[in-house]
Amino acid sequence: MRNVSAMVALCAAVTAAGDSLPCAACHDQQGHAQPQTSMAHALELPAANLVLQAHPHLVYRHGAYTWTVERHGDGYTYSVTDGSSTISLPIVWALGAKSQTWVLEYNGHLYESLVSYFPRIDGLDLTMGDDRLQPATLVEAMGRLLANSEVRPCFQCHATAAVANDDIQFRSLVPGVQCEHCHTGAAQHAADIAQGKLDSVPPKLGHLSAEGVANFCGQCHRSFADVTRGRMFGQVDVRFQPYRLSLSKCFDGSDRRISCLACHDPHREVNHDAASYDPKCAACHQQSGKARLCPVAKSGCAGCHMQKVQLPGGHSLFTDHFIRIPHSGESYPDSPATGQ
Amino acid sequence: MRSSVVKLAAARVAVGSLLILAGVAVHGATFEEASAAATAARQANDIPHAIALYRDAVTLNPAWQEGWWFLGSLQYDSDQYAGARDALTHFVQLNPQAGPAWGLLGLSEYEVRDYAAALTHVQRALADTSGGQAEMEAVLRFHEALLLTRMGRFDAAVTRYAWFARHAPPESTLLTAIGLASLRVARVPDEVADNQHDLFETAGRAVYLTMSQQGDKADEILRDLMTRYPETAGVHYLVGWHLLASKQPEHAIAELQHELRLNPSNPAAATMLAWAFLDQGDPSAALPWARKAVEGAPDLMRAQYVLGRALAETSDVNHGIEDLEAASKADPADLEIHLALESAYSKAGRTSDAQRERVRSIELARGTSLVAQR
Repeated sequence: MRNVSAMVALCAAVTAAGDSLPCAACHDQQGHAQPQTSMAHALELPAANLVLQAHPHLVYRHGAYTWTVERHGDGYTYSVTDGSSTISLPIVWALGAKSQTWVLEYNGHLYESLVSYFPRIDGLDLTMGDDRLQPATLVEAMGRLLANSEVRPCFQCHATAAVANDDIQFRSLVPGVQCEHCHTGAAQHAADIAQGKLDSVPPKLGHLSAEGVANFCGQCHRSFADVTRGRMFGQVDVRFQPYRLSLSKCFDGSDRRISCLACHDPHREVNHDAASYDPKCAACHQQSGKARLCPVAKSGCAGCHMQKVQLPGGHSLFTDHFIRIPHSGESYPDSPATGQ
Repeated sequence: MRSSVVKLAAARVAVGSLLILAGVAVHGATFEEASAAATAARQANDIPHAIALYRDAVTLNPAWQEGWWFLGSLQYDSDQYAGARDALTHFVQLNPQAGPAWGLLGLSEYEVRDYAAALTHVQRALADTSGGQAEMEAVLRFHEALLLTRMGRFDAAVTRYAWFARHAPPESTLLTAIGLASLRVARVPDEVADNQHDLFETAGRAVYLTMSQQGDKADEILRDLMTRYPETAGVHYLVGWHLLASKQPEHAIAELQHELRLNPSNPAAATMLAWAFLDQGDPSAALPWARKAVEGAPDLMRAQYVLGRALAETSDVNHGIEDLEAASKADPADLEIHLALESAYSKAGRTSDAQRERVRSIELARGTSLVAQR
């Protein structure tokens, strides 16, 4: 199917060359802050991955199988055994800066590791969504075979310049979300600037409406259309923030005060201080505004109106972006009609 | 799905349902004699005699529902479709609540090629939820899709065939029927020339596999189809459609452009090309193709949809909404239209309209919408 290992070597060379985009020379703040974000580390080669570096030996047992992730020289191996036979493979790619799943190559095909690392338990467990699988063979216990149609969107979101002409560019993709990922044409722009040409500016994203931003970010974080079309309903959809936000009564696609960018700067790591978002709510919910004032509190809005929800099978809490007045004992609301 | 098997199944299932619905009315001794004789002949399986006797009996008593029903269903079973249609028309006038009779009436009209009436009556039977026999439902759904194809409503037909990918094996007539709808040829399988069966059956098999989530197998079949029929109208359109569904818009664009070189007046290909550009996030490139599609086929719902989206995603959101609303009226159960409307309303700041479309979209996706349940 593909010689993934050779492609990874080429990819590593590109990454090691550094200076992949000299954007920071002009865009100082964004260029220096963005590489520190989780998005920038959404996909990494094992040698560069901090999660693996911090966990040189991980073991997990479930049913008849035992999985081990451990360091060997400069690389990391992922092994599964049923006690009599063992499959041991090098980890090709690490996906996720926090919770982490690995992509493996076996007999020319790509597999998603059946176990993943979860920071909340600081260890391994079954990969979210794969917990329903009942592996009957060692290969099935090793991982889930990825269909071609799955691999493309996977890399398209976790890497930069990953897809061209509808095919994954294993030789040239850049791991993680880099400038070019959102700012199409940034690489050409940087090259042109070096030649003194100033007119090849990537399309401006700042003019996008709240709806436009939700759809733009939703290309990876899942828009209303993506979740609905894919029927990805239920508590697992809490991780699809643009979708959840659009269910909110206060979501107005023409009002930038409710845009993703009103609260989040994609060039910086997400701020987990809930109080820091109070002014964003107050941009509308103020004395002179049309939006109602909260009769309960003047601060800590997100604590009540954007509840933390356990991601089923994911060992993580997500902030529910369906902004609403929650009611005691209510089930997880999955429609504007049931959430207000 | 062989036609005769389908027909017998339809008639037998419907008979069971309607014996309960049809009341017995008796007027005078002559009618009693005729009706008793008709019943006896039917029970003795003397069908020609029974048909003649039922005809006499309903002439004597035109309000005899059971007589009209058996006259219609026995004629249908005997390939006397015009007579079956007439008798069943009398029956449904007397008993409009009899859902299965509307179905058999529609099937009779299909056989006499009164396609518009057949579609109306088959759809009326499908909308009736009192029946519930799975076998009859499959027969009616199949004929609804055949009729939609025959009347040139190919997109709706393909949508209907998706049900069969979940509920029926890939049998030759079904695949040929799917192939006809997919290649946008307004015929039914019986009208396909012998030397064209392979083309339509192969195309239908690829679409059936796509609908069954077996895209990789569909890829292989479509590659084979392109090799064997490189210049046949509709083939590159079909491949483009498949590639677009497989999230390969660039390859889809190449195939659709190829189709439009072979067949420049194909509004479906222009529609799909516009759609591919929209999926690539390039509404400006989509707009001229969407306009061309609407010019070529003003009634093509999908053309209105892509034009609406292209306008809404460039800078003319209000005109885009108008086109999307028109498309939604043409097919209220189409999820993609509601998703596009949701986004367009949201972009225009019409928050309550946008929320209404979100609720509808979720209901359609969940299958809890009354429109979707149809």
